[in-house]
Amino acid sequence: MFRRFLPQAGALLLAALSVAPASAEVKVSTVLDGLDNPSGVAIHAKTGHLFVATHPAVLRVAPGNPAKKFVEVDAFKTDIYGKGPKYEIGPLGVALLGEDHLIVGDGSLADAAELVRVFKIGATPLEKPTAADNAEFKLGPIGPGDESAKGEGNFYAIAVGPKAFYVTSNGDDTKGWILKCEIKDGKPGKLVPFIATKPLVNTDAPVAITFSPDGKQLVVGQMGEVNMASDSQLSFYNPEDGKLLKNHAAGLNDIAGLAYSPKTGKLYAVDYSWVDAKNGGLFRLDVTAEGVKAEKIVSLDKPTALVFDKEGALYITLFGTAAEGSKGPAGKLVKIAPEL
Amino acid sequence: MNGRSAVDAGNVDTQSHRPRCIHASRSAWTLGTALVVAGLVGAANLRGADAPAKLPLGLPPIPVPKDNPQTPEKIALGKQLYFDRRLSADDSVSCADCHDPKKGFSNGEQFATGVKGQKGGRNSPTVLNAAYQKFQFWDGRAATLEDQALGPIANPIEMSMTLPEMTLKVSGIGGYRKQFQKVFGVDKITPAEVAKAIASYERTILSGNSPYDHFKQGEVEAMSESARSGMKLFFGKANCGSCHAGPNFTDNAFHNIGVGMDQPNPDVGREAISKLEGDRGAFKTPTVRDIAHSGPYMHDGSMKTLAEVVEHYNKGGTPNPWLDEELFPLKLTAEEKADLVKFMEEGLTSPPTKEHDAPKLPD
Repeated sequence: MFRRFLPQAGALLLAALSVAPASAEVKVSTVLDGLDNPSGVAIHAKTGHLFVATHPAVLRVAPGNPAKKFVEVDAFKTDIYGKGPKYEIGPLGVALLGEDHLIVGDGSLADAAELVRVFKIGATPLEKPTAADNAEFKLGPIGPGDESAKGEGNFYAIAVGPKAFYVTSNGDDTKGWILKCEIKDGKPGKLVPFIATKPLVNTDAPVAITFSPDGKQLVVGQMGEVNMASDSQLSFYNPEDGKLLKNHAAGLNDIAGLAYSPKTGKLYAVDYSWVDAKNGGLFRLDVTAEGVKAEKIVSLDKPTALVFDKEGALYITLFGTAAEGSKGPAGKLVKIAPEL
Repeated sequence: MNGRSAVDAGNVDTQSHRPRCIHASRSAWTLGTALVVAGLVGAANLRGADAPAKLPLGLPPIPVPKDNPQTPEKIALGKQLYFDRRLSADDSVSCADCHDPKKGFSNGEQFATGVKGQKGGRNSPTVLNAAYQKFQFWDGRAATLEDQALGPIANPIEMSMTLPEMTLKVSGIGGYRKQFQKVFGVDKITPAEVAKAIASYERTILSGNSPYDHFKQGEVEAMSESARSGMKLFFGKANCGSCHAGPNFTDNAFHNIGVGMDQPNPDVGREAISKLEGDRGAFKTPTVRDIAHSGPYMHDGSMKTLAEVVEHYNKGGTPNPWLDEELFPLKLTAEEKADLVKFMEEGLTSPPTKEHDAPKLPD
């Protein structure tokens, strides 16, 4: 049986990265390199396979030594993110819907044209990748109208709850929508604007999203302006009615991903830090009634998303920076052993 | 005083253009416990040094650096310095000349005029609510009012005094010597104290208590029907609220809206500071509070009326490779454009005040 198995030319071994851990105990290992602007990562609870959104495909990664990489969904279009530096992007956010469906948030088209797609997946890699257009469910687009002046797009991240999943979106910057899609009988319903975050927190761009460990709160990382330092916000919403429960300045530049450790219940964020990539990295966020204290765990090169496996190992996607003279993609999937 | 044309044009930089240190900056400020200094800030609209204790309606507490607390004496001193033309080389230009209370704390001209009639290359941004801004100058090269205050004094085409010359001159004025001694406990005046005093006064230059603020309090009739329609457009179809957000109507960020980008050598704006190509042609989002008084508009003062401004946005800005994604054709009708202007002129204009009239200067 032919499988789209792409052995990595680069460092597939779990070699230690040249990063600057804040704690000597934290070791960061490369799972895959040579990835093209990876921006989202999800883990299949049963198989442990990782799904990684890259440009222009969604990959399935079987962790191991060496890790194996397969293309799960391909044929996404290409869009450009940023104005300098500019990045080619395709699918952005990924999440599992149960054991047999993969939700993919698009970033490959123009605002007002983008879709959230849901693909049927199996326990094993596909012989031939599914084309993006052949999704089992296509949700959206959300075009221009009263709720969104220009229409919605750049679906950065997805949080899946028992009754609905929620998608961060970046179309109308007067609203900063979190979209909602109710799930009935295991099938997604209509994708609709749900929480207009901007009027609530006066900050742009909901990007990171996850559920609190008890499932009672939607936890959202508001990235803020990419050319502003320290403007990211951490917000907590009631997923049922969308009410803002609390909001704090996070002390970070650009929160791109959020996840709770299944072992410790602690909240972690990755900060892309557009204004100064040297300040980017993995942070533990200690939330109190007074606010958020961000403790840097390790410096990382333009991190974009993170996910814990059930043992507590942490996987993080990095855009990375191409070495001088290098022409290949600089993106990576890295791992931190279960210790957070 | 706030950023003026020549300094903004980058002709001379007497300030250290150090990048903003995130953590140091945060720790230096009373974050989360920003001070409302009773008796020092506020009032019903635009109020200053002698104002009563209440913040103007619609404004949050003012952030005040720990190392420069507001005091009535310091604010009064800063006000005198702000209005004093002796801080320029030929006694011809004060902060207030380019940031005139009678002209929305701008100067009513396309560019500022410095000593010997010299012109800069950028419009004088308003000082109104500069207390809330996370960056000063159009390109944001100063993080605080204290960092900013001395720049125009030392700029040769603005006030044209070296800082040692300026402090020597100020020290030669007995009334100032006495006040600096009282306020800062110093016999020798340094630029740091001058900057702190001016910044303290600028923190009292506030715009709030507008019809919009009253409308938000439930006074529906505070704004006309046209202004209310304009408000809805401002935060909706017209997309203004994507950048002009929050109590001060600014996201404190930098955007390329295309102004001047069709010129042969466009002003690169924020890129000169951040060194990021993505910031090319990007300038700080100004507040639109009291915008009716602070024209002409844009960093280059190229638009005389708010109608011109609205038309610029309606067409989606001026195309260029770095144009912000927030700019796109709005397809506003003539009535909608008029309503938008009405909202800004009527809804965001504070009641007039004489609180910032020029003070008596010391001898």
